[in-house]
Amino acid sequence: MSTVLRATGITKNYAIGKREIPVLRGVDLSIEAGEKVALLGTSGAGKSTLLHLLGLLDRPTSGTIEYDGRVVHSLPIGERARLRHQQVGFVFQFYHLIPELTALQNVLLARMMDASVLQYWGKRKEAKASAVAMLEHVGLGERLHHRPTELSGGERQRVAIARALIAEPKVVLADEPTGNLDSATAKDVVDLMFTIQQERQLAFLLVTHDEGLAQRCDRIIRMKDGCVVDQEMVTGPESSGPASSGPGAN
Amino acid sequence: MYRLFLAIRYLLTRPINLLGMGGIAIGVWALVVVVSLFSGFLQVIEEHVQASSSDIVATELPAWAEWPALRDALQHDPNVAGMAPRLLHYGLLVEPGKRPPPAPLPGRGAMHGGDQPFLFVFGVRAELEAKATKFASWIRHPDIPDNLRVRNVDTPLAPINNVPTVLLGLDRMQREGLKPGDSLRLMTAKMKRGKNGRTTPVEVDVELVVGGAYQTNHGGFDGNNVFVDLSTLQQALFPDAPNHVQEIAVRVKDPNQLEATASRLNREVQRTLEKDNHGYGSVQTWREKNALFIKNVAHQRELLKIVLTVIMIVAAFLMLATLSMMVTEKTADIGILTAMGGTPTGVTMVFLSCGLVITGLGVVAGLSTGVLTAVYLEEIRQAWLWATGHDLFPLSVYNLTRVPCRIEPLWLLQVTGMAMATGLVVSALPALRAARHDPLISLRGV
Repeated sequence: MSTVLRATGITKNYAIGKREIPVLRGVDLSIEAGEKVALLGTSGAGKSTLLHLLGLLDRPTSGTIEYDGRVVHSLPIGERARLRHQQVGFVFQFYHLIPELTALQNVLLARMMDASVLQYWGKRKEAKASAVAMLEHVGLGERLHHRPTELSGGERQRVAIARALIAEPKVVLADEPTGNLDSATAKDVVDLMFTIQQERQLAFLLVTHDEGLAQRCDRIIRMKDGCVVDQEMVTGPESSGPASSGPGAN
Repeated sequence: MYRLFLAIRYLLTRPINLLGMGGIAIGVWALVVVVSLFSGFLQVIEEHVQASSSDIVATELPAWAEWPALRDALQHDPNVAGMAPRLLHYGLLVEPGKRPPPAPLPGRGAMHGGDQPFLFVFGVRAELEAKATKFASWIRHPDIPDNLRVRNVDTPLAPINNVPTVLLGLDRMQREGLKPGDSLRLMTAKMKRGKNGRTTPVEVDVELVVGGAYQTNHGGFDGNNVFVDLSTLQQALFPDAPNHVQEIAVRVKDPNQLEATASRLNREVQRTLEKDNHGYGSVQTWREKNALFIKNVAHQRELLKIVLTVIMIVAAFLMLATLSMMVTEKTADIGILTAMGGTPTGVTMVFLSCGLVITGLGVVAGLSTGVLTAVYLEEIRQAWLWATGHDLFPLSVYNLTRVPCRIEPLWLLQVTGMAMATGLVVSALPALRAARHDPLISLRGV
């Protein structure tokens, strides 16, 4: 399998007044195509910050981020935005759906991001068909024209998943995607995410507090105080790699 | 695509944005309607002033100016079609046994149809005046009732029973209840040089009889000017200078050469009246002679433009407030837009597009309703009059037949540009604030 995403020596400091607060202290990480990686750690360990850096939403203080072997963290903001659109799908704990839009429009919005009005107009039927297909795939075929306020938490997260996948990214970064759901709904959502991940052979990075959920991934990376303290390969019915464990790579 | 799509969705789901749009629409509407009305009014005023004037007038003629010499000097100009000599004086017209009219109210001027107690008295030769101005049509104006018309329009200033006649503006005649045949007395004065070389005023009284009414449509002229025969003023004011002339009205053959003709005539007048190496007299076109009056109306229009622009600025502040509120509400969306591949520029454009769509719709609404209102202003006036009994624009004051309107495409373009520029500025402020918002704060759900 090829390495889709690689982070090397990532540090991130935030300035608070005159003080520099280190949040990440040299993190190394790589994810291969078709691999599910869980990022576990307590609050403040730096999981979300790392996720944002890997998703090119922010720049590391030092270190490099590569997508398909290409160093991307230092690209101009517009290039990073385009790459984010093409390569990365985000799923967040709070769904972040746009309340003015229906489920279908929320998903379609992701198809509009890099198209001009004329470009989109030319492929609008195709875009709509793929968005409808994606929503049907996540079980929302009957809820296309409902707004987020008319959907349950699980349905909202399914819309968010459909939106993350509509642009056919290679990497999905999920930040506690079940953190706002009851356990039954969370299981359904995770089942759905993993099914699609397997279908599309996506590189999947899941930030979670949930040890049980992490155990369903191929690999678990544990973080503490901005460092990777442990990595372990998971064996089980859903994991694809051999069981192993080892020290943190930082 | 997402910028425009989101902008429209944000607008459609927030009726409060209609406030900003409505404000812009009202501002544009007012600018279109009021300025079109004033432009139409200005056009009518110019037409009325032109209709009551000769094309060119030689004026400020000195005491030694004589009609035959000036006539001979000017009549050879290739563009002169007709000329008429004039004497111009002032005075009070009093009905025997009645007091003179009261002094004008403060601020009431010539525009209000002749509240001035003092009148200008034109001494003219009717047959020549008809060749230099529209004098003949003034006394034949269709609005003049039969009982106030000049009895013999071919000799309108001929004495009646050996008493010199005077022609008055129709409104003044009707207001003062005068009719042809009524006696009037012109009370005025002239300066007389005594044996000691000093000039002193000497009272002049001229018995007159009303010959009839005239109407030029220029209320300011009709209300303040009366016509008598040239010989009447000559005998009363300049008995020793029977050929003296104070003003010469000129009609031209080709109005397109008005300025060039006036310039040539000015040289001729100054050459003819030269004394001690100094040329006297001045020749002006009708527009130059009335420049101050026309400029005053135009100036009022410019002031109104400024006042009405303030309405649009107020509307723009309203838009600024609603857009700022929207940006505050939508900070959560900024994070996800960035995560999906949006850039700060893209986020800016979403909110900028909102403002521009609001402004654009406001401008379209304001322009279309403004143009419609301006075109049908007379019908609206009549409907309002019928519904409330209140006349918004009394036409008789200005001798109009309908509310004037002149829609100037350049002004519509200027209003559109001004509104769009205002919209752009007030949209840019919240849009830039949105662009500066850290998307990570939104994504963390803080």
